[in-house]
Amino acid sequence: MIAGRPGGTLTASPGDPATDRGVRKAGLGRTTVVFAALGTALVILAVVSACLGQVPTSPAEVVGSLLHRVGLDIGPMPAHPAGEVTLWEVRFPRAVLAMLVGAALGCSGALLQGIFANPLAEPGVIGVSSGAAVGASAVIVLGGAFTSGWALAWAALISGLVTTALVYMLSRSDGRTEVVTVILTGVAVNAVAGGLIALFTFVADPAARDQIVFWQLGSLGGATWDTVAVVAPLTAVGIAAAIVLAPKLDLLALGENVARHLGVDVERVRQVSIVVVAVLVSAAVAFTGIIMFVGLVVPHLMRMLLGPAHRVLLCASALAGALVLLAADLGARILVDNADLPLGMITALIGGPAFFWMLRRTRAQQGGWA
Amino acid sequence: MPVSPRTTLTVLFLALATVFAGACSAPGSDSPSLAVATGHRTAVVDDRNPRPIGTTPSPHLPATVRGADGVDVTVTDISRIVVADRSGTLAQTVYSLGLGNNIVGRSTAIFPAGEHIPNVTPGGHGLNAEAILALNPTVVLTDTSVGPLAVQEQIRATGVPVVFVDPERTLDTVAPGIETVAAALGVPSAGTALARRTLDEITAARESVPTDHPDLTVAFLYLRGSAIKMLGGPGSGADALLAAAGARDAGVVAGLESQFVPITSEAMIASAPDVILIMTHSLESVGGPEGLTALPGVAQTPAGKTQNIVDMDDSVLLSFGPDTGKVLAALVEALYRTDAA
Repeated sequence: MIAGRPGGTLTASPGDPATDRGVRKAGLGRTTVVFAALGTALVILAVVSACLGQVPTSPAEVVGSLLHRVGLDIGPMPAHPAGEVTLWEVRFPRAVLAMLVGAALGCSGALLQGIFANPLAEPGVIGVSSGAAVGASAVIVLGGAFTSGWALAWAALISGLVTTALVYMLSRSDGRTEVVTVILTGVAVNAVAGGLIALFTFVADPAARDQIVFWQLGSLGGATWDTVAVVAPLTAVGIAAAIVLAPKLDLLALGENVARHLGVDVERVRQVSIVVVAVLVSAAVAFTGIIMFVGLVVPHLMRMLLGPAHRVLLCASALAGALVLLAADLGARILVDNADLPLGMITALIGGPAFFWMLRRTRAQQGGWA
Repeated sequence: MPVSPRTTLTVLFLALATVFAGACSAPGSDSPSLAVATGHRTAVVDDRNPRPIGTTPSPHLPATVRGADGVDVTVTDISRIVVADRSGTLAQTVYSLGLGNNIVGRSTAIFPAGEHIPNVTPGGHGLNAEAILALNPTVVLTDTSVGPLAVQEQIRATGVPVVFVDPERTLDTVAPGIETVAAALGVPSAGTALARRTLDEITAARESVPTDHPDLTVAFLYLRGSAIKMLGGPGSGADALLAAAGARDAGVVAGLESQFVPITSEAMIASAPDVILIMTHSLESVGGPEGLTALPGVAQTPAGKTQNIVDMDDSVLLSFGPDTGKVLAALVEALYRTDAA
């Protein structure tokens, strides 16, 4: 099941747009509907998210505040003394960061599943998340109590990238990689990373220990416009690169050999894709910590709805990822009064059962993934 | 862990001393000078509410202080104070300065009189920026025991002055901690008075240690169930309290190098404590004194054999606030009183 067989079973479903014109037409209509629904839901949720929080603000006040910012003195300003500053310094950047990180995770998951032709592929497999966690824990332990969020983010970003590079280089032989080798190398590197994280947890003092644990549970609590300014361009570049790669991923889905005969430099596509995934995920987790399951579940869900054509799939996964993470973060910050719940907890609690449901459904309809 | 002959001798000596002392503390013993308390008892601070040093002081504002993060912060209004630190020391200090009515938000560890104030760390650790801003604070006093730091910086970015106090909590930080808080709130003279009262009480508690007290090695344990077993070492805070109470910290004796170290059962045995000092919740998590003394590693120590356990409320033991003198006095009382229940 782990093996990425030629013509990966996931992508050889009857809805393959390259082979079935009838389905393709229906698929186009469906694509429009799904994108319209995702887009509408995202806009509505963004508005809801902007209105809800621990500082009480009414929708009219939020709209009023927005209009005042663009120079129109229409509508009420927030009545709460901290309302205006909260909206602009806390709530808005947090919602924007949630969407960016969700989009990055969703898109990178779809990309990785595409190049590996493997349903288990998610960014964690190639070591990005655990590598980032090693960098973050090291800085937490070595940096002391006042380690800045920026040092933490850069350490996570860089160690995520380095770990991914390590997985790729270790699994390469004779100038090429095999999917199974990459995944198994990832398992080995993840194990070492897990050991390093345990080591840092052991040597840390109690406060640092808490920080390490909570970093791995994920939170958007520290979002500012500065973090948005770092994450946004990386996410945009990553998603754009993924979309450029999409046609080659479609050919790769026909099997490595077929793709090679059709003129695709399979190894190059894989290299570039892994770099793109590493950039997307490192940027996503650097400021937020590890967020589980979004990169795995969202692309599967979109594939079930839209079929395997990658250009559509990558865009839809990014949109749906943004939607899911915005919703999860809204829950994280309003479900319990005054508390900020671990984001990873919410995504895993919802993502796990959702994944199971998809598994059962796919099995019933197609006889399973493998 | 290699055991030097000296350690072995010490262990033997201590074991003998404990047996001897234990025998002498039998009911009706007429030589109290060599007596040592045995059995489980709780060190109780009779009133957990801090005592204000005076009436509400009038602040001199604006006040500018340099926080523990090296940032100069100017406080212009102390009418709405949020205090957030794990040990609850900051709330105790503000209350003791006579400004209890100005506290609008607090963290989980709190004295009874502050329980009605909204808790901004309901999970015990994580801060939510909006929850704090919703209280419309004019100043936030905090340290790095709660976080994440990004949230505290976010609050500062909204224009609310955020003062970081030194996160270290030990006997030496008691007076400077009080004075920093008082300076930040523009009430330095109340701070000086409170620091003096606290230091006087600590001195009095030190002097209450019986001159002929038994020589005790005390292990400060942090436990959560039988899986998490940590021994306090230098800097845990308990080491300083125990030193002030005339006892030795087993973690320091054993050569630990950090505040809390997860230890093996054998290291526990080798540290050979006569008494185990533990926070009340830790004790509950292992099923009380019987559960604690049944743990492998604890059962084989002198303290385990005689069930010589002192527990103390989590929120007071290591808070090192203005009530430190009372805490130390309660600890001395529990360690050396021979009429323990």
